[in-house]
Amino acid sequence: MRELTFAESINEALFQVMDLSNEVLVLGQLVDYQPGVFGTTTGLFEKFGKERVRDFPVSESAMTSAAIGASLVGLRPVLVHQRLDFMMYSLDAIVNWLSLWRFKSNGESGAPVTIRAVVGKGWGQGPQHSKSLHSWFAHLPGLRVAVPATAYDVKGLLMESILGEDPAIIIENRSLFSMKTHVPEDPYRVRFGQACIFGKGTDLSIICIGVMVPVALRVAAMLVEKDIRAQVVDLRSLSPLDKERICESVAQTRRFVVLDPGWEAFGASGEIISVVCEELAGELEANPLRVCLPNSHTPMSSALEAMYYPTEDTVLQRILEWLNIN
Amino acid sequence: MKLSHETIVQSGPYSEVSIEGFDKETVLKLYEFMVRLRRCEKALMQEYHPADEIRCPVHFTVGQESVSAGLSQILKESDYMFSHHRLHGYFLAKKAPMRALFAEMYGRETGANGGKAGSQDISMSSVNFFGGAIVAGTVGIAVGTAMGLKIKGSSSIAVTGFGEGAADEGAFWEAVNYAVLSRLPVLFVCENNLYATFSPQHKRQARDNLSARVGAFGVETHSIFGNDATAVYDTLAYAAEKVRSGKGPIFIEAYTYRWNGHVGPEGDDDVGYRPAAELKYWKQNCPIHLLEKKMYEAGLITDEILDVMLEKIDAEIADAFAFAKSSPFPDVEDWERMNYSPDESLADRLLLDAKPVDFDQYQEFAIPKPY
Repeated sequence: MRELTFAESINEALFQVMDLSNEVLVLGQLVDYQPGVFGTTTGLFEKFGKERVRDFPVSESAMTSAAIGASLVGLRPVLVHQRLDFMMYSLDAIVNWLSLWRFKSNGESGAPVTIRAVVGKGWGQGPQHSKSLHSWFAHLPGLRVAVPATAYDVKGLLMESILGEDPAIIIENRSLFSMKTHVPEDPYRVRFGQACIFGKGTDLSIICIGVMVPVALRVAAMLVEKDIRAQVVDLRSLSPLDKERICESVAQTRRFVVLDPGWEAFGASGEIISVVCEELAGELEANPLRVCLPNSHTPMSSALEAMYYPTEDTVLQRILEWLNIN
Repeated sequence: MKLSHETIVQSGPYSEVSIEGFDKETVLKLYEFMVRLRRCEKALMQEYHPADEIRCPVHFTVGQESVSAGLSQILKESDYMFSHHRLHGYFLAKKAPMRALFAEMYGRETGANGGKAGSQDISMSSVNFFGGAIVAGTVGIAVGTAMGLKIKGSSSIAVTGFGEGAADEGAFWEAVNYAVLSRLPVLFVCENNLYATFSPQHKRQARDNLSARVGAFGVETHSIFGNDATAVYDTLAYAAEKVRSGKGPIFIEAYTYRWNGHVGPEGDDDVGYRPAAELKYWKQNCPIHLLEKKMYEAGLITDEILDVMLEKIDAEIADAFAFAKSSPFPDVEDWERMNYSPDESLADRLLLDAKPVDFDQYQEFAIPKPY
């Protein structure tokens, strides 16, 4: 079976969607150079030319506004932010214009803009090159937010958002870029609001987001040795959230842990726990557990990084403590 | 002598309005548009309190009628008009119906946006009009539409209307730069009315030379007295034509002044932010009166013609009020659905549905490289 890396899969998605629709543009800093934003846009400029693949000035706000404007005449811009932190300049364009454009026009006008934002992790990226902010974006009405974990999912979600009519933010964690899965050659879609479940264990649901998915799967394997059988729920998108499958899973297991690669306070993990408890609080056999980033900005030193980011060992530790207590 | 708010007031009553060389029909249309816009605004202001059925912030245009009058004569149906919050003039310049404007302000289902947007955020895609209340926000959007129009080989243009306050925002300059860099068919129209709510331009901007600063980016700029309706029209017509021909963006700074407060029918002169003499000057050099005087002199208008015009205008306004007041309020079934599109037809047509695959979680996490 043909395998691609996460980065190659994004690249293929962009090639295919630009072939399928002449209206797709790719805008972003350095998208037309050979490195192509970690290999994700490599080759696009050579094939599709400078009108459709644009090295945009370091003007994230104008780039996002321009994308909205271009979408009004039928184009489908894909914006690329080499580091999610940079897109903070475009928050007004996203919050005050992109996310509410359809609403304020009473459904008559849409802005099918897709934003790809790459999240840094490790090698001293530090506080200004490591933010994920998926919780912020998921909180905003009018946006679709995806946090794909696998090469397979990122191609499907990217094609779905580019050919869809809603603005979407695809949050891509760099640590995943070299990981492979089978990726079908044909254009395909992974729908928003559809989680996928790995495993059938009925002792524990591990609900996870993005870069925590491989961690969750490793932890699930380690738990088997302790005679605990888990099922891993990869959310794939946060907005919309697949509340049904989350609750279905926890209805079976009665215990759940959330692994969120974002800060603990006021984040996605709180939302997920709330969604479960609103339906199943009375049926849980343990209080919910969440393992997130500490409520701190990201340090640069590798020694600090090792303490900051949850690993399969620290997550396993937390789960075992939690299960013993309960 | 460089044009500025200071020099304009200093040079006394404006006497340079001319209708010579202009097509009579056009002059009449400019005049009628301004009269219609002003009467519309005044009627709304009159009706606002104590009825309190218009329940949204409204930013009236009284005193600033000539720019939108000029635009009404040069905008094509296929052109895109973007605006900030003080948008009634631009809305009407795009030939959008008064009924849709009024009903929107009354929060009714029949409003341009079904009561979702109100006055300051109104849009009407069927006439390619888009407004919004975050200052400078639509400037970048207009630039993007111009980019799209150029990519599509269209001969349409994007026009963006804003006040001088928009040039306080960094995003404004990003947009200007990109318009020049990509040589885009966008017309920047700045109505410099001196004030951002209470705060005058010289309190916010280091230099009173907006046109020069924009020009430094490589844009052709024109700085004009904004209450001279034929001169404004002339400049807009020239600029639109040139932008349409693909020669790149043009920036027009029209000096003008609003009579009323920043927002609402209530005045705000009790705040004491602007000199009485200044307001008096601009009222005396009102765009309608300046043009009207010349038209009377040339016999282009008479009291009889004006009476007929006013009757027609007042009937339209009365009809718009009646329509708005008798329209139903909107209802909501699903709040979330109003924020998303039900249309998946393109993806349905082009994409297969995914089937699950295995994932080997023991692969190495990538170590970040620079690029």
